[in-house]
Amino acid sequence: MIGFILKRIAQSVIVVWLVYTCTFWLLMVTPGDPFVGQKQPPPAVIAALKARYGLNDPWKAYWRYPVDVIIHGDFGPTISYSNWSVAAVIKTTLPVSMALGALALLFAMWLGVAAGVLGAMLKNRWIDHTLTIGSLAAISIPNFIVGSVLLILFAVNTTVLPSGGWGTFRQLILPAATLGLAYWAIITRLMRESTSDVLNADYIRTARAKGSSPLRVISIHAAPNASLPMLAFLGPAAAGILTGSFVVEKLFAVPGMGNVFVNACLDKDIPLVLGITMVYTVILIVMNILADIACAMADPRVAING
Amino acid sequence: MRKTLLLPTILLLGVFVGCYWISAGATTGRHAIVFCQQGQIHTLDPAKMTYLQDIRVAEGLWEGLAQYAPRTLSPIPGVAKWWTISKNKRVYTFHLKHNARWSNGQRVTSRDFLFEWRRVLHPHTGSGYVFLFFHIAGARRYFNSLAIHPHHHLPFSSVGIKAPDRSTLVVTLNHPCQYFLNLMAFAPFFPLDRHAMRHFEEVQGGIVSYNPIWTRPPNLISNGPYRLTDWRFHEYLELRPNPYYDQRKQVHCQLLKIVNYDDATAAFLAYRTGVINVLGFIPATLGPALVKQERLGLRHDVHITPVFGTMFLDLNCRKGVLKNRLVREALDLAINRRALVKHVVRMPAVPIHVLVPPRTIHGYKSPRGMGYNPNLARKLLKRAGYADGRGIKPLRYLVVAGYPITARLAEAIGAMWRKNLGVRIEIASEEGKIFHEDCVHGRFDVAGEGWYGDYPDPTTWLDLFLGGNPNNMSHYRSAHYDQLLRMATREPNARDRFSLLHQAEAHLMDKAFPAIPLFQMSDGMVYNRAKIGGIEPNFRTLTLLKYIHRR
Repeated sequence: MIGFILKRIAQSVIVVWLVYTCTFWLLMVTPGDPFVGQKQPPPAVIAALKARYGLNDPWKAYWRYPVDVIIHGDFGPTISYSNWSVAAVIKTTLPVSMALGALALLFAMWLGVAAGVLGAMLKNRWIDHTLTIGSLAAISIPNFIVGSVLLILFAVNTTVLPSGGWGTFRQLILPAATLGLAYWAIITRLMRESTSDVLNADYIRTARAKGSSPLRVISIHAAPNASLPMLAFLGPAAAGILTGSFVVEKLFAVPGMGNVFVNACLDKDIPLVLGITMVYTVILIVMNILADIACAMADPRVAING
Repeated sequence: MRKTLLLPTILLLGVFVGCYWISAGATTGRHAIVFCQQGQIHTLDPAKMTYLQDIRVAEGLWEGLAQYAPRTLSPIPGVAKWWTISKNKRVYTFHLKHNARWSNGQRVTSRDFLFEWRRVLHPHTGSGYVFLFFHIAGARRYFNSLAIHPHHHLPFSSVGIKAPDRSTLVVTLNHPCQYFLNLMAFAPFFPLDRHAMRHFEEVQGGIVSYNPIWTRPPNLISNGPYRLTDWRFHEYLELRPNPYYDQRKQVHCQLLKIVNYDDATAAFLAYRTGVINVLGFIPATLGPALVKQERLGLRHDVHITPVFGTMFLDLNCRKGVLKNRLVREALDLAINRRALVKHVVRMPAVPIHVLVPPRTIHGYKSPRGMGYNPNLARKLLKRAGYADGRGIKPLRYLVVAGYPITARLAEAIGAMWRKNLGVRIEIASEEGKIFHEDCVHGRFDVAGEGWYGDYPDPTTWLDLFLGGNPNNMSHYRSAHYDQLLRMATREPNARDRFSLLHQAEAHLMDKAFPAIPLFQMSDGMVYNRAKIGGIEPNFRTLTLLKYIHRR
């Protein structure tokens, strides 16, 4: 196990470096100047700013950022929000995105498992068909449409829920539902398939033969094995929900990292884009490793070879 | 089931509760006023501000030597109790009041102004408005010497800013400047507490800079109506009355929460659901509908007014057919502004044919400008050698992405040019940063621009077309024009100066056509006047947060 984790960490370092390199040079070759704005300051000011951010020499900047991160744990001040360093921005916005993502995933996981098991138990009955159609629709409809419809239903036509912002639990409900819906659908599909596979297995027939109630068969015998594919999916899903929340954050005015990331890209805020990209990368890697470990703990048959 | 789902559930619940607890701020009480602005706060360092949303907050936090009068926006005494202006109108002596205090109780002195103005004049600070300081004698030379030799520069004593004692500030100008007192109420000229700033000093390579955390509460010390008590990035700013402010009795809002939304529609929804009390802008996509509802009497919370801003087209005078003045004039004459405003803008905007919005500056008479005359336009184009647009390649028309109105304007103008002149356009929609970079480097033929005036003087527009101005996107260069503006700068008599500026604008609008003005923009706010008072929308789009209150 420890050997496995060490190996994955070693691989991760290479991945992180590759992502950093690609992001950095993509930022260098894409058009747009971070210091050019609505009102142009005198050229001397732009030159001084470029020097201060160390962006006169791309190669120097390329090596300087990793050194800064190792020594100070930071990419330095951002360009477009100069009162905040990259680390300070991440520190305030990441918890927002994580809280939203965790709630969305909790909702997706529990409702997904319930719907999937229900679908498998009542296979080819009308409930199953409804769930299939519903989940397919939820996967295919982009979340800005889902969000807009929810907004119209709950915040415009009726004022049951606030339209967004941050601070109270009620403000979280609509964005979390929007964000979690697609993941709910995928988990529902995964659970339905795996549960119906498991339900056909010999040991389930044995359990039924010895007289276990259907509920007991499902909850004790079938579901644990059937939820393994779902567990493996949770890692990437957690990463996806965190890195893909920018549309929802914008729509519901949630002050999360996705929203900041989009603004940073538009402003061509080089240190901020790099910082957030690296955080996303690390989250993605850690989530995948965690999902692997969780799978191994849940199912001894999944062998992890160090 | 329990075992497999338990671990992720506990993990996710833990993450949710932990992160939510960290990130959720204090809830807003009933007595608070939530004021919403469009676009995020970029900086709270008054020296670096260029965005309106930042400047509005600064006006609430700081007070300059002067401040704006509530309705007229003319400069009235602020930190300076009174001032004298020398006979040649070049020396301003400000006498500071003795009871001006920082939010930490310390006294505001003339040295605080000296300290901050000196900081602005350092290229390293990165002030976007540093050019406004170049009215002060020696300031430009001092700035340039710092830019060229950061270590062997001119002494600051060469600049015409002196503080003979704690309550006197003497400023010497290069030339008389009619609007200098207005500038004293403008954010880049606000003071900073030099004692408080000392804690954030950082010296790198012999250059002093300040750790940016000085702007974050509780570090930020201000001298205006409010003090900053909380700032959550991209979420909100919390302002409470500054207990040491000498005009404390004029501040009636106990808690002002400023939120910034990127998405105008989301902001409007938040206003509708009561999360926001004042929407400090008119959402662009909803504007026409809101105006219509207001007109029909269906709602009474939309307050809209023409503002000190012009929408215009920059014509690239350095490239292709647009080098030809006749072509530029023909393009100008072929646009029907009235139709644009009526059918495309659909807001109370005013069609104009000059750059400086007419009747917004007291004593300044706008030139006539050209009207809509497609026949003359066709003739001019023929005289230029491009009859019916033959020989003119499609013009590259740049617009900023994300503003549907600019794209619709481009389409309408393109249709007018095609119909009236046979000239075609290619619309290129670009992100803000790329748009501005392309403008600076002249990679366009036509660019849609909006410009808001910073101070009540025609030069806030006319300076744009000076040769060498970094904001001169038309790349227009005329010795005659530059000469007219130079003469105006030196002219001590206000009326004669306006007459020179009138000539200069007439030169642009009747002869040279580096830009085509379209309309005077309108903006405003959405709020219930029966509940909130003290923030009448004004043509400068300045919201004096000091006077905001609940009724």
